Amino acid sequence: MQIQQQGSALNTPSVAISSVLSNYAPPSTGFDELLGPNGQLRSHWKRFAAVINRVGGEEMSRRWTQATRLIHENGIAYGAYGDPLDKPRPWELDALPLLIPQAEWDRVSAGLLQRARVLELTLADLYGPKKLIRDGILPPEIIFAHPGFHTALHNLKPAMGRYLHFYAADLGRAPDGGWWLLSDRAEAPSGAGYALENRVVTSRMLPEAFRACNVQRLASYFRALRETCHRIAPRHQDNPRIVLLSQGPSSENYFEDAYLSRYLGYTLVEGADLTVRDRQVWLKTLGGLYPVDVILRRPNTADCDSLEMPTHWGGAIAGLVDAASAGHVAITNPLGCGLVESPIFMAYIGVLCKTLLGEDLLLPSVATWWCGTQPGRDYVTANLDRLVIKRAFRRRGQERKISEQLKNLPKEKLIQRILASPNEYVGQERVIRSTMPNWAGGNVSASYVAMRAFMVATVDSYEVLHGGLARTSKELGSLELSLVAGEGSKDIWIQAKEPPQQDSLLKGRQDPVKLRRVGDDLPSRVADDIYWLGRHVERADSAARLLRAVTNRLTSEAASHLRSELPMLLRTMADQGQIEPGFVVEGIREQLPAIEENLPISVFDASTSGSLRSMLAATYSTAARVRDRLSADSWRVLVRIDEQFRAPESGAWDLTDLLNMANELIVDLAAFIGMMSESMTRTQAFHFMDLGLRIERATQTATLLGNCFRTGQEITGEILETLLQVCDSLMTYRYRYLSNLSSVPVLDLLLTDETNPRSVLYQLLRIKDHVDRLPRTETQPTTAEQRLLLAALYAVRMLDIEAMGEKHALGDRRELLVVFEKLNQHLPQLSQSITNKYMVHAGPARLLSSIDQVRMAKT
Amino acid sequence: MKYRVTHTTKFHYSQPVGVCHNKVHLAIRTLPQQTATHFHLAIQPDPYATIAQKDYFGNRVDYFSIQDPHRSLVVKSTCNVEVRPIQRPPEFNASAAWETIAAEIALRRDELTLNAYHFSFGSRLAGKDPKYAAFAAESFPPGRPIVEAGLDLTRRVFEQFKYDPRATTVSTPIDTVFEQRAGVCQDFAHLQIACLRSIGLAARYVSGYLRTIPPPGKERLIGNDQSHAWLSLYCGESLGWVDFDPTNNIIPETDHITIGWGQDYIDLCPIQGVFVGGGKNRMDVSVDVATV
Repeated sequence: MQIQQQGSALNTPSVAISSVLSNYAPPSTGFDELLGPNGQLRSHWKRFAAVINRVGGEEMSRRWTQATRLIHENGIAYGAYGDPLDKPRPWELDALPLLIPQAEWDRVSAGLLQRARVLELTLADLYGPKKLIRDGILPPEIIFAHPGFHTALHNLKPAMGRYLHFYAADLGRAPDGGWWLLSDRAEAPSGAGYALENRVVTSRMLPEAFRACNVQRLASYFRALRETCHRIAPRHQDNPRIVLLSQGPSSENYFEDAYLSRYLGYTLVEGADLTVRDRQVWLKTLGGLYPVDVILRRPNTADCDSLEMPTHWGGAIAGLVDAASAGHVAITNPLGCGLVESPIFMAYIGVLCKTLLGEDLLLPSVATWWCGTQPGRDYVTANLDRLVIKRAFRRRGQERKISEQLKNLPKEKLIQRILASPNEYVGQERVIRSTMPNWAGGNVSASYVAMRAFMVATVDSYEVLHGGLARTSKELGSLELSLVAGEGSKDIWIQAKEPPQQDSLLKGRQDPVKLRRVGDDLPSRVADDIYWLGRHVERADSAARLLRAVTNRLTSEAASHLRSELPMLLRTMADQGQIEPGFVVEGIREQLPAIEENLPISVFDASTSGSLRSMLAATYSTAARVRDRLSADSWRVLVRIDEQFRAPESGAWDLTDLLNMANELIVDLAAFIGMMSESMTRTQAFHFMDLGLRIERATQTATLLGNCFRTGQEITGEILETLLQVCDSLMTYRYRYLSNLSSVPVLDLLLTDETNPRSVLYQLLRIKDHVDRLPRTETQPTTAEQRLLLAALYAVRMLDIEAMGEKHALGDRRELLVVFEKLNQHLPQLSQSITNKYMVHAGPARLLSSIDQVRMAKT
Repeated sequence: MKYRVTHTTKFHYSQPVGVCHNKVHLAIRTLPQQTATHFHLAIQPDPYATIAQKDYFGNRVDYFSIQDPHRSLVVKSTCNVEVRPIQRPPEFNASAAWETIAAEIALRRDELTLNAYHFSFGSRLAGKDPKYAAFAAESFPPGRPIVEAGLDLTRRVFEQFKYDPRATTVSTPIDTVFEQRAGVCQDFAHLQIACLRSIGLAARYVSGYLRTIPPPGKERLIGNDQSHAWLSLYCGESLGWVDFDPTNNIIPETDHITIGWGQDYIDLCPIQGVFVGGGKNRMDVSVDVATV
C-alpha cells in the first residue's frame, strides 16, 4: 500500500527535488551524485527524495538528534580509547546515503572481482615462481626493493590455497560519471565494520526510504566471511576457535575490531594473549591454554612474528610463521598479502590483467607512473602539477604523515627527492571526485565522496559487500590520505529492482550451536582488566560519596566549621589522594576558604592520580580495553559519565554545582555497577569484576571506619550519621533503630552485619565465594588466596561487637583498631596474590640478540 | 683441508625462562669448494622438536623451542667439513669491467643474474648511501676489472678501519662504523657490502668460520676460534660469486669455512631467539676449528 503511494508521488513533477534538499547547490567541478547537468534530480534518487520529502525536515531533524546520540554514545570513532585525556573523535555519519543503482553496481563489482583475481594471481607468482619478473612483465624492484617482501615467508602456503582472502578498494567517480579505482587494500583491509555500523544507524533513521529503495543487504558478505573463516580451519572443523587478532586499543581500528568480533562471535585478542607451543597457536586463558585454529589478522605482517621478522612491536607472536607453515593454524589475510597494495602495482595492473587473465581491465584504474623507469620518471617530473606523488611501496599505518610531507614539499625539493631514489616514488593522476549533499541536521551542503568496497574470498571466487563505506570531505585532497582522513561518512545503498529477500544479519551457519555454560577461556589479560575495572569503578563510587558528603556540609546553612565530621571526611579524602594532605592538619577554620576554592580544582585535576576525575578516566580507559565484554548499555552509561563529569567550561560555577554533579555521578555509577552485574553471566569475567569491586569496597569502608574510630577522635552523632550516609546505610539504620545514633549498632551495621550489602563482612563473604570458584591447577586443598581471605574473615568474625561496645564506652578502641589493621594488611596481599597467580602470566618477550655476547679477547 | 668444527653457545639466566623459540643457522653448507658431513645439533635442555628447513637463500635453518622453565640453554653444533681450493677460470685475473657487470645484473632476467640482482638492493643492516658510493669510487674507476677493484676496496677497508671488539655491538649501525673507522668482521663485511651495493653491484653477506693459526712456537688453543663473517661479490656469469675478507685483506681460500649467505647478518644470525622471563642474562660462545 505504502509503496503504491510512493509510486504515485514519483509521477508528480512538483516533487522532482525534495524540499528537504531544496537548498542544495553542487559545485560545478565534476559529477554530482544527486543532480544531473541541468539541475534535475537523477532518476535513481527520485524515490528516495519523495520519501524523505514526505518525512519532512522537522521529523528528519528529530530522528537525526536521536541518531547522533546513538552514534555518539556507541563511541563510533577512529580515535584511540587508550588515553583517557584524548577523547575519541566521534564518527560523523551523515544521514543521506550514497545511492547506486543495481546495474551500475554490478559493473563495478565485476571490475572488483577481476581486480581481486589479478592481485591474487600476482601474489601467488611473486611468492612462488616469479615468472612475472623473469618474463619481464614486472620489474624485479617490485619485490627486491619492497620492504613488504619478506623472504621469511617463502615456505608458507596460504589457507585454502588462496593467496588473498580479503580485498578492499577505494573508488572515486570521475567527471564523466564512471567509477575509477584509486587504490587497493590487501594487507588487512579495514572499514567493513564501520559500513555495518553505518547501516544499522542509517536504516533505523530512514526506515521508509530504506524499504522504498529496495536496498541490498550486507548480510551475504558477512555470512561468506564467516564461512571462509570456518572453512580454512585446519582442525576442529565442527567448531573451530577463531580469534580476531587486534592491534589493541591504541590502534585506530580498535573500535571496528571490537565491533566486528562481537558481531561475528569471535574472541577479540591481542598478540600478548596468544602463544606458540608445539608449533601450534594457543590462547592464554585463566583455565589454561586453548588451541586456536584461525586468526583473523589485523596487524601488519611485519609485526606478526618477532622470531622471523625483527620488530619492536610488543604484540608479535614468536613462532607464528612456523605454526602456519606447519599447517596448524590458518591466518587470514594470509601473511604477506600487503605486498600488492603498494601503488607501484597500479602502474602495472593493466598489463598484469592482460597477462594473467587475458582480459582488459573492466574497471578503470587511475593512471600511475613508477619513477623507477626512465619514461616514468621523465613523465612524472614533467607533469608534477597534475599528479599526486606517493611512495611506491606502502607502509601500512605510516603513509598519512609521509603523504602530507610530500604534498607540502616545494617542487624543486620534490624533484630532487624523486631523482635521489626514483624507485621509491610513483606519480598518480589527480582525480576529481563526485560531489553529493550532506544533510547535517538540516544544513544541506556539498562535499566530495570516496567509496571503499569490500570483497571476501569464497571457495573459488569472491563475494562482494553489496554496500560499502563512503567518506566525505569538503576538500578534495584529504580523501586520498587514508581511511581515517575525511570529515564524514555515509552508508552506501545499492538499489535493487525488487525488494531483497529478508535476511537477518545474525543468521549464521545452519549447524546447530552447542550450548555452552562455562567460560574459563577468559584471556588472562582480559581478566586483569576486568578486575581493575571493578576496583576503579568502586573507588570512584566511594570517592563520589565522600565528595557529596563534604560539599553537602560546605554548602549547608549550618556553619561548616562547627561540624565535627568535616575533618574526618577530609582525612579520608586525603587518604584516597583526592585532596592534598595539607588540608587535614590542624585548624580547620583557617583552612576553610582554601578548601572551598581548592576542592573543585582538586576534583577535576586530571594530572593527579588520586583525583576523582582521574579515577573516572582510569575506569573509562580500563573499560575501553574490555569493551567487547561490556553490554552496549553499560558502555553508554560510562561514556556519559566520562563526558559529563568534567569541569564546567564557564567559569561561573560553585560548590552547589559540584554537589549536583556528584549526585548525578553517584546515580550513574550505581546504574553502571547494576548493569554490569545484571548483564554478565556468572562466568570468570563476572567473578573477576565483582572480586575487584568487593575488595575495593571492603578496603574503602575499612579505611573510613578506621578514620572515624581512630584514637583520639571524639564520636559524635554527626560523625555516625555521616558514616552511615557515605556508606549508603542511613535508611537501614533509621528503619532499625529510629533516630537513636550510637556507635555499637553503627559498627555492627557497617562492619559485621552480613545481611547489609555495604558491610565489610558482606564483602568478605562475597570475595570468598569468588575466590573459591577461581580456576585451580594445584592439588592442595586450600590456596594462598583462600588462606588470606580466611584470615581477614576470622578477624572480623571474632569481633564481639557488644562486648567491645562496653570497652569502647571507656575509650578503649584497641581491639577494633587491630581489626582495621588486619584488613589493611590482608586485603592488599589478597589482591597481589590474585594478580600474581592469574594475571601476570608472562613478561614481555625478549630477543636473544639483546643479550650481549661476552666477546672473547683475541689472542 | 679437513676440519671438525665445534660451535658452543651457552646462555645463563638469573631467573627461569618460561619458554623460548629459536632459529639457528649453524649447519655448514655443501658447496663446490666444500663438503660438509656429520652435522649434529645438541641442545640442552631437550627441545620440543627440532625442525630443519631451507631458508629463502637455500641455507639450512633449524628451528626448536623449549617449553619448560630453564635457567640455561646450551646449543652445541658439530660438523665435519672438507674445504678444497677453488678452481678459478682464466678470466679471474682479467675480469670484466665492473660497470659491465652492474649494467648486466640490472637487465638480465635469467635465474643466476636475477638472484644476484636481489643482493644489489639495500637491506636493514647494509643500506645504500651516496657516502658509501663515494668511498667505493676510489677503488672503482671506470673500466677497472671487477675482481681487481673488489680486492682494492677490501684492502682499503682493512687498512683504514681498526679491528676493535669494544668499538661496536651487534646492533651498531654501519653509519657509526663508518664514522669511527673501527669495528669487527661483521661490521667490515656490512660496510663493504653497502659500498658495493651503492655503486650498483650485488654483494651478499657470508657467515662462517676461520681457522686460526697459532703464533710460531705456541700451541693452538681449543675453543679460541671465532665465528667469522665476510662478503661475496657477484662478478658475472663466468666467475660467479667471489668472496672477499676485509678483516684479513684476502680472498678466502681453504682457511675459510662457509655456513651460508644472505642479505646481511639478520638473515644468517647463528642463534636467533625470543624468550620470556630470564631476568639478567649472559651468553658465552666458544668455537673450535680443528684440523683433522
